[in-house]
Amino acid sequence: MNWSVINRVRRRSGALENEVIDHYVAGKITRREFIRRGSVLGLGMTSLGAIVAACGDSAGDDTGGSATTTGDGTATTAAAAGSIQQGGTLRIAAQRPGSPLDPVAMDNIGSYTPVVLAFEYLCGPDGFSLVPMLAESWSPNDDGSVWTFNIRQGVKWHQGGELTAADVVASLDRLAGANLSSYIDPGSAVAVDDHTVEVTLKNPDGQFPYQLSPYNPQALITPADYELGTLFDQKPNGTSAFKLESYDVATGAKYVRFDDYWDGPPNLDGLELLFSDDNATQINGLLGGQADAIIQFGVSDAEAIFASDAVTVDAIRGAGHRQIWFNVREGTFAGENGAKIREAVALGIDRQALVDTVLQGRGDIGNDHPIAPAYEYFDASQPQRERDIDRAKALLEEAGAAGLALTMHAPELQEIALLAEVVQSQLTEIGLNITLNVESTSTFYEKWCKVYDSTNPPGGCDGGEEFGIVDYGNRATPDRYLVAAYATGEWNSAHYNSEEFNAAVAAYQATVTLEDRKEAIKPVQEIANRDIPYVIPYFYNTLTAYAKNVTGVVHTGLGHYYVNKGGFTA
Amino acid sequence: MRRFVLKRIGSIAITLWLLATIVFVFVNVLPGDIGRKVLGPTAQPADVAAFNARLGTDRPLIEQYVTSMRRVFTLDFGESFQTGGPVTDLVLPALGRSAKLAILAFVITIPISIAAGIYAARRQDRLADRVTVNIGLASTSVPEFVTASVLLAVFAVQLQLGKVYANVPEGTSFLGQLDYLLLPALAMVVSYFGYIARMTRAGVIGALHADYTRTATMKGMDPGQVMRRHVLRNALAPTITVISVQIGYLFGGIVGVEKVFNYPGLGTMMLNAVGKKDIPVLQASVLIVGIIYMLSTLLADLVIAYLNPRVRLEAGR
Repeated sequence: MNWSVINRVRRRSGALENEVIDHYVAGKITRREFIRRGSVLGLGMTSLGAIVAACGDSAGDDTGGSATTTGDGTATTAAAAGSIQQGGTLRIAAQRPGSPLDPVAMDNIGSYTPVVLAFEYLCGPDGFSLVPMLAESWSPNDDGSVWTFNIRQGVKWHQGGELTAADVVASLDRLAGANLSSYIDPGSAVAVDDHTVEVTLKNPDGQFPYQLSPYNPQALITPADYELGTLFDQKPNGTSAFKLESYDVATGAKYVRFDDYWDGPPNLDGLELLFSDDNATQINGLLGGQADAIIQFGVSDAEAIFASDAVTVDAIRGAGHRQIWFNVREGTFAGENGAKIREAVALGIDRQALVDTVLQGRGDIGNDHPIAPAYEYFDASQPQRERDIDRAKALLEEAGAAGLALTMHAPELQEIALLAEVVQSQLTEIGLNITLNVESTSTFYEKWCKVYDSTNPPGGCDGGEEFGIVDYGNRATPDRYLVAAYATGEWNSAHYNSEEFNAAVAAYQATVTLEDRKEAIKPVQEIANRDIPYVIPYFYNTLTAYAKNVTGVVHTGLGHYYVNKGGFTA
Repeated sequence: MRRFVLKRIGSIAITLWLLATIVFVFVNVLPGDIGRKVLGPTAQPADVAAFNARLGTDRPLIEQYVTSMRRVFTLDFGESFQTGGPVTDLVLPALGRSAKLAILAFVITIPISIAAGIYAARRQDRLADRVTVNIGLASTSVPEFVTASVLLAVFAVQLQLGKVYANVPEGTSFLGQLDYLLLPALAMVVSYFGYIARMTRAGVIGALHADYTRTATMKGMDPGQVMRRHVLRNALAPTITVISVQIGYLFGGIVGVEKVFNYPGLGTMMLNAVGKKDIPVLQASVLIVGIIYMLSTLLADLVIAYLNPRVRLEAGR
């Protein structure tokens, strides 16, 4: 243990950073957790590496290799130096944008991809850790309520001019009225000088930099003259390694290399997005040699891709999941009998069988709360709910619901239709008679939630059907699930309204240290698991694939594809 | 003839007005708030309201109807709800792409199927006739998207002959374009071959047994001339009608083939527009398909009238 190095790093760090360092030095957290936590708090790789080395360990083991790696949050292929050829255009099969390319209001992975290829975030992705992107460094005050971001100097906009603190402040002000409204107000971000921005939060949050990273896709830094409603394709700009050349929602988009990119010009000459509406076309495009990569695909259409020797498949272990929702406020699933029916459904499904058959083993089983095992503060000590057909039948008898007929609504999206069929089959064994109504995504969301701003308690989502399956994408923290689906948010299709649960979530969100968060998450998991407004059968791995001659790709499962260091192998 | 054409143009205008009205009624019957549908579930209620106000979708239906009709007759379809750009920027390129694919499919289908129909008719009830008829029946009964999926899986994916994404990149040479378009065109050829071949066969058999053909043959006319002047001229009228109906269908009804090959034609555009409640795009696409359908029918009537003076006289009355 080299104490002089450790003390030197400690002296220039704040209280939150020092707590993480102390935990690592005392052996309370693993090297992996230390790097993840330290990066979120703004400890640079130099400091992290120095501490790890001072403790007699090596930081390099976690950061890649010569082949494909698969891990939490993002996946990366790293190529050996000199093995990437200069030039070429990477053709990427992507989902067609489902809404206008408004960086602040975009809401689907199809719209994310073309926008996030051009704009960047303050903090970049590296697994569930963060690395500097447009912010060279960042640090919190002692309680995590004020965060200071040092903006990288010499970053050029595609259309000319340099990135300054004014652009960052204007971007955060726009987000304060929308995506970040629960974290900051307009005016919360202040330019201290041309390249320093100070952000004062509504409540302390030790994980705030995640909100300014790809894990909150809308938090892109756009030019100061962008306004709410400015569309990227009508006013293309950005700071990334590739600038937009053409965009057509019917066919695709083309990007050319940006030679003034702050991290050096990319190897590739350009990128081309090939839009389509379904996974099958994207997979066929890759296997047929017309595309070099796919942004994201589901297991259900992908047998040919798994069998192919010509492509590499990356699985990102994350928190994306499916919720089987029940309307707990009124109808079949409300009240004492409704609670018994909900528990019967939760006991009636065989989670491991679902992971094995529907996901072909590519996922973690769920326990009816949205805290994924991939999160470092996941409480693994909570008992796992197992299938118990006898108990489920008994509960249905008690509720007077034996042989109950139900309609389950589901979207035609990735593996969800198959999940619905297997759940239907499993629940037949406990005596439930389920009819499926699987519809296109555009029609389905009317069933899930007709009104998103209802004033009926608990507010938010209202008017949807009482029972169905809905999709949730990967997030680096569970806050979005907890607030939007369980509390008074616009996605609360269960109409779940529990003061006890809301208090537990508030306590979790107020934590700033990992130790506190590990404690605070326990009641959140327990209450959700006990009340069962949603059955969460599994957390799926997000899958991406690319040709064997492609390397150096960093992707998040949220539509990002960073290839500024990547390209085709020589 | 002039009166005939004017009458037909008048009926086309009325039909288009009815079509535009039906589209308007249908899209307003579709459930859901347009602003919410376009901006998505996470959009703030105030943004949704502002969006609806900007597009006028919060105004009374009758007011929206008048605006909609004005747009139809001035051919100004406004902006797409989905992209925010002018509708014509989306619809016209899609029309061009559909036309390209449809023309290729027709260039292949028409000569093959008419030749096969004539060939079968001249060998009525013999083996060649039965084979042609049965191949035609089988090919017509397979849905286009099934043929398209098989062609795609076998040729584009397995053998890497042809393309999965059939959209032709700009600047591709003529022969290069065939690499992209041949497979989807073949899927359409397989579907339409049987229909056109059978219509041709039936028409030719009827004409071959007609009195005027027998008279022409009896007076010693060259068999080739009998075929051209008497048989085909009379036999092809129903075939031309069938082909003209298929033109409208090829432009807007081949959603299955377009979807399988991810071809951004009018069919795919209409399907997406329904899903996204993109009324301006839907309205423009449906009207364009309607116009093509009616113009192709008019063209067929004119050709038939040219070939058969009786039709001309009856239509002019």
